[in-house]
Amino acid sequence: MSSLLSWLVLIGPLALVAAGALPSAQANAAPRRTADRTFVAALVAFAVALLTAVAVASGGALVSGTLGLRGIGLGVYADALSAVMFVLVSFIGVVVLRYSRNYLAGDPNQGCFLKWMALTLAAVLTLIISGNLVQFIGAWIATSLGLSRLLLFYGERPAAQLAARKKFVASRIGDACLVLAALLLLGTFGTLDFAGLFAGANAMKAAGTTSGAVTAVAFLVVVAALLKSAQLPLHGWLIEVMETPTPVSALLHAGIINAGGFLVLRLADVVSLSGGALEVLVLVGGATALFGSVVMLTQTSVKVSLAYSTVAQMGFMMLQCGLGAFPAALLHIVAHSLYKAHAFLSSGSVIDLARASWTPSPGGQPHPARLVMALLAALVVTLLVAALFGTTLQEKPGAVALGAILLLGLVHLLANAIDERPNAYVIGRTVVLTVSVALAYFALQAVAEHLMASSLPATLPLRGPFDLAIVALVVLSFAGLVVFQSLMARHAQAPAWRALYVHLSHGLYLNTLANRLVLRHWPRTTPVSSNVKA
Amino acid sequence: MTAALKLAPIAPAMVDRPALDAAIRGACRKIAPLWPLKHFVAVNPFLGFTNQSFAATCATLRRVAGVDMLMPRAFYREAIAAGAIDDAALDAALKASPARPGAPADVAALKAAAALDPRWSARPAAVVATVAEVLDAVAQGDRQASLVGFMIDEISRWCAAYFDEGQASWRMPTRGASPYTAWRDIARYDRNPEIMGVPGFRRSIMALPEDPVEAIGEVVAKLGIPSRAVEDYLHRALFDIGGWAAYARYLAWNAELHGGTDDTLVELLAIRIAWGYALFEARTDAAMKDAWAKAMADAAALPDDEALGADPDLAVDLLLQQAYEIAYRRRLVDGLKGHAARPRAEALPVRKPVQAAFCIDVRSEIFRRAFETACPQAQTVGFAGFFGFPIEYVPIGHQRGGAQCPVLLKPAFIVCEQVGDASPDEETEVLGLRLIRRRAAKAWKSFKLSAVSSFSYVETTGLLFAGKIASDSLGVTRPVANPTVDGLDGSVARRVGPRLEPRKVGGRATGFEPAQRVAMAEAVLKAMSMTEGFARLVMLTGHGSTTVNNPHASGLDCGACGGHTGEANARVAAAILNDLGVREGLRERGLPVPDDTWFLGALHDTTTDEVTIYDEGHVPVSHASDLARLKTWLAKAASLARLERTALLGLTGPEATDEKVLERSRDWSQVRPEWGLAGNAAFIAAPRERTQGLDLGGRAFLHDYDHGKDTSQGVLELIMTAPMVVASWINLQYYGSTVNNRAFGSGNKVLHNVVGQLGVLEGNAGDLKVGLPLQSVHDGERFVHEPLRLNVFIEAGEAAMDAVITKHASVRELIENEWIHLHSLSDEGRTIRRCHGAGDWRDS
Repeated sequence: MSSLLSWLVLIGPLALVAAGALPSAQANAAPRRTADRTFVAALVAFAVALLTAVAVASGGALVSGTLGLRGIGLGVYADALSAVMFVLVSFIGVVVLRYSRNYLAGDPNQGCFLKWMALTLAAVLTLIISGNLVQFIGAWIATSLGLSRLLLFYGERPAAQLAARKKFVASRIGDACLVLAALLLLGTFGTLDFAGLFAGANAMKAAGTTSGAVTAVAFLVVVAALLKSAQLPLHGWLIEVMETPTPVSALLHAGIINAGGFLVLRLADVVSLSGGALEVLVLVGGATALFGSVVMLTQTSVKVSLAYSTVAQMGFMMLQCGLGAFPAALLHIVAHSLYKAHAFLSSGSVIDLARASWTPSPGGQPHPARLVMALLAALVVTLLVAALFGTTLQEKPGAVALGAILLLGLVHLLANAIDERPNAYVIGRTVVLTVSVALAYFALQAVAEHLMASSLPATLPLRGPFDLAIVALVVLSFAGLVVFQSLMARHAQAPAWRALYVHLSHGLYLNTLANRLVLRHWPRTTPVSSNVKA
Repeated sequence: MTAALKLAPIAPAMVDRPALDAAIRGACRKIAPLWPLKHFVAVNPFLGFTNQSFAATCATLRRVAGVDMLMPRAFYREAIAAGAIDDAALDAALKASPARPGAPADVAALKAAAALDPRWSARPAAVVATVAEVLDAVAQGDRQASLVGFMIDEISRWCAAYFDEGQASWRMPTRGASPYTAWRDIARYDRNPEIMGVPGFRRSIMALPEDPVEAIGEVVAKLGIPSRAVEDYLHRALFDIGGWAAYARYLAWNAELHGGTDDTLVELLAIRIAWGYALFEARTDAAMKDAWAKAMADAAALPDDEALGADPDLAVDLLLQQAYEIAYRRRLVDGLKGHAARPRAEALPVRKPVQAAFCIDVRSEIFRRAFETACPQAQTVGFAGFFGFPIEYVPIGHQRGGAQCPVLLKPAFIVCEQVGDASPDEETEVLGLRLIRRRAAKAWKSFKLSAVSSFSYVETTGLLFAGKIASDSLGVTRPVANPTVDGLDGSVARRVGPRLEPRKVGGRATGFEPAQRVAMAEAVLKAMSMTEGFARLVMLTGHGSTTVNNPHASGLDCGACGGHTGEANARVAAAILNDLGVREGLRERGLPVPDDTWFLGALHDTTTDEVTIYDEGHVPVSHASDLARLKTWLAKAASLARLERTALLGLTGPEATDEKVLERSRDWSQVRPEWGLAGNAAFIAAPRERTQGLDLGGRAFLHDYDHGKDTSQGVLELIMTAPMVVASWINLQYYGSTVNNRAFGSGNKVLHNVVGQLGVLEGNAGDLKVGLPLQSVHDGERFVHEPLRLNVFIEAGEAAMDAVITKHASVRELIENEWIHLHSLSDEGRTIRRCHGAGDWRDS
């Protein structure tokens, strides 16, 4: 594809920069006009994204080369992976900017809000289509700074400041890791241009020798990604950023938080050179997924609940990356973004949901013996189905593990329908639903794998007994979680379970500890008297 | 406990249980209830203070809670500059107020005072500082450093888990126990406070008595709070968690309405007091100890209560508020008098084509005026939108329903929803299908939210949300299904309505027996002063709102129907009044309704001004053309009413008004779908002639009342004890949310975070919020609601009103303590006199 055409991709982020590049006072003076400007810019970006996707689908990746030296400068690298993310984020951008038009109407700083939203979006889009690592890091930092402005939109709120400080610490460590990784890569491959980097990494893979520097890079990238995506133990800022208007949460949870995942996917060729780095992803991601999904069960406010859900889903996505199932991870990013954007934007509807969610009669809990049987059946079926599809544990351990987790979920769905008063209609409907879910899952995985064949490494094979142990650990942990949740419903009153409830509902106190440290080492410089009416 | 007493360095000073009980009761009584969002009704936030005057309450809240309930000085200053407050009003305010030491004595001095901002240092000292306040003071006002913010977050988080109506799937294991016990059982394991830096938290809590009242007593004694300050101390402490306290008060309110009792609020107070004590115990530093000793010394050495009210800045603000109200009242009174003096055309002695009754809600005023413009011969009537039917309405498939009546009442009847004209087989089928769909939906929801399956849910269904986001953004779909028709087929949903036939459901009698129907019909017609001159069509119009993605949606529905739409009540009332047996019974009781009069149940959508008429299929063929004409008038009235509302909604371009208003009602990002009852300032109970043709700007509750027909004054008593009180609740809710949204409102809507499916937090933590969002009273540039106490005008004999005032303490308090301003209308509206207490009426 001609490199001239590639440069046109930049129109997307540039349109948003143009819309957002005006003084805040001017933006605030005519909020409606600012809303129109930014919305039109987002539409332009979305249109460019769609055209990019069409171009990539028909003619392959759009690679401009770098306008600069040794891959340091400006460039566009738009392959299937970038195109999917570009379409996703620009779509979210259109939606949140349109939403903010009426949602913040009347706020004296609405113009400023829209401006920073447009600029932040521009930074994310630039990151997605970056042609080299330096541009990527620049956009990465710009995203973080733009987001900070949005998180501190009501900067006088003490809780907003606290969360922003925690995020600041996590972000800067992440930035340092990335910069270090870039220096090491430059030293190893002599370029930071993505095309050059990927070629170098693939050559290294083919040769079967991985230098220490590249291994270090893989670890640094993984750390940066985990920090960006609010993984354990520095997840605390994410669950406290409801101190800012809802559309920011939607943008953050749907468009920004997954930048960590995108980083791993973008550099998958490099990261997958180090088995250790992948194992870190499995362990941290898996632990975060389990942690987030259990803590979510105990949360009582809709937005905090959604935030823990994001922590868990990002963990799961990192786990998928760690298992080498890169296309599955991308699918997860896209699906989660759309789901979570809707969940946040519609979070005011929870009362309507509650009004509709009456319980006709207590359905009771599935019998434990039946559950255990279902679990065993699920495991057996997974292996059989996998074998049927030609997927063996040796070839695609990640796919097998993830399939097992799907089936555990389906067991839950079925077990819920077959409660103490089995009803043919309910069971029938649920079975149809279960089959649909399973089919949808496998079909989507296949499509993702097909689409990403040119962008992402194929799912990795098993490298040895340690990998097998990891896969087994993952499956057993998730199976354990199913058993845990079933036991919880029965034994919640027992003292040990009570204690567990208390510890888990506080997120194992990790965030409290972070808050205390931040308050002690970074106290507020200008205490305000909150006790007196403004 | 004995162990704790041994550990305590000082012996308990206060063991006087009756005095302690009285102090606790006094503190708890000051909290106004907060209804959950599923049926959010307006509450007077000053409900606990109506036994003292408005001015005294301002003083009390300032010195006890440090909270203002008047506008900032600048607001009045701008009103003077804009001419909204003129010299005459200032003068009248000065004349009407008792001279206060240090307060301005003449208009010039008052204006000079208005030009200055109050000095915070001049505020009177708090009656008593709580542990929280002293900690704040030591931390120079930083609530995060003082850990007071943390305490509030922790109590709020605990309350959310305890009161949760279904948000969390792993619910608090101890929530079956009473609150204080349940809290102790959680605190036993809770490391959070200690990790945050409250050493010994669990030990401090466990050392306190297991009984909540004893625990409060022990803390009060150990802290050394002077007995005269105990009630204020407890009230002050409750104010920190005012939102959850208000919810606890609601639980007690409900229990008392049904003849029970509920101590949740007392137990919540014990939790708050124990928390403060734990914070106190954790601080052994000299700064805190010294500050505390000084605070207690100050509290013990307080001047008399009288002198505490001496607050020159407050006196100025009170005068300005009074002048602001006087200026408005004068304009309103002049308007009413001018209208009364206008020559009026004699009403033609022909039968009216239609009578249309609407709720007294201020939003009806605009629509009634529009309807009278569309059809000048029509008569409109104002009456509480539940039309006198206090019902519990049970939807299909449910066992219990919501109370569709003013919250001061208990439902007297249970009415079940049914599918109109359905055979028993069809009914069973519809019911079964809804229950099964519900169970399937529940299984699906569990799949979505369970720990392991949530990942599979996202991967398989996430992509579908792309379409959902797009269609929700465009207003084509609703973010979630409308709860009233969820699980019903569209064709069935259109047929559902209330069932009047008596039937036992779940062991409870539902529907109406023939004798009950006649009695209710008679009572309702008399209460509406509608006993003769019936038109061929009489429309009983309830109201509801149409908004999406709005946690406070039910607050825009009918307050007289307990935060529900008035559909069921209007339909029940119409159906009963159409019942042939009822007509016969009414005739026997001397209240004949013509055979060709047909009652219609209808619903006014206050967001879009559309009116829906129900049960059209039952309308006799003979009335088909009447109905068709009515519909054209309603359509015309809807357009007129929308046009009037567009100015406030900030919509431009008259050509597309209708479309824009409808679009707004479907917009999931809209934070001001309609203005609700903003602007309400008057309540007028009189025949419609007094106000017909007068533009009251959607700011008046209009109740039809003909005192000539009310010989026993029973209707007057009803009006003054029910609709007038409810209107004042609404008025004071708007007042509080306007003057101090932080204390009496729910803050910024764009930060709202629904908690426990019952209320909202502002942001990710903090106390539960009460009252209205700022967006409901403010358009970004100015307050759309004007903070005015309700001006009540009743056309009735002053002696008759005196009798009601004397008989009902609650009414007397509202009037004599100036929570509302009562006026009498006489001489067909040409004479208006203001009531300053029973028997004391003066020209206004």
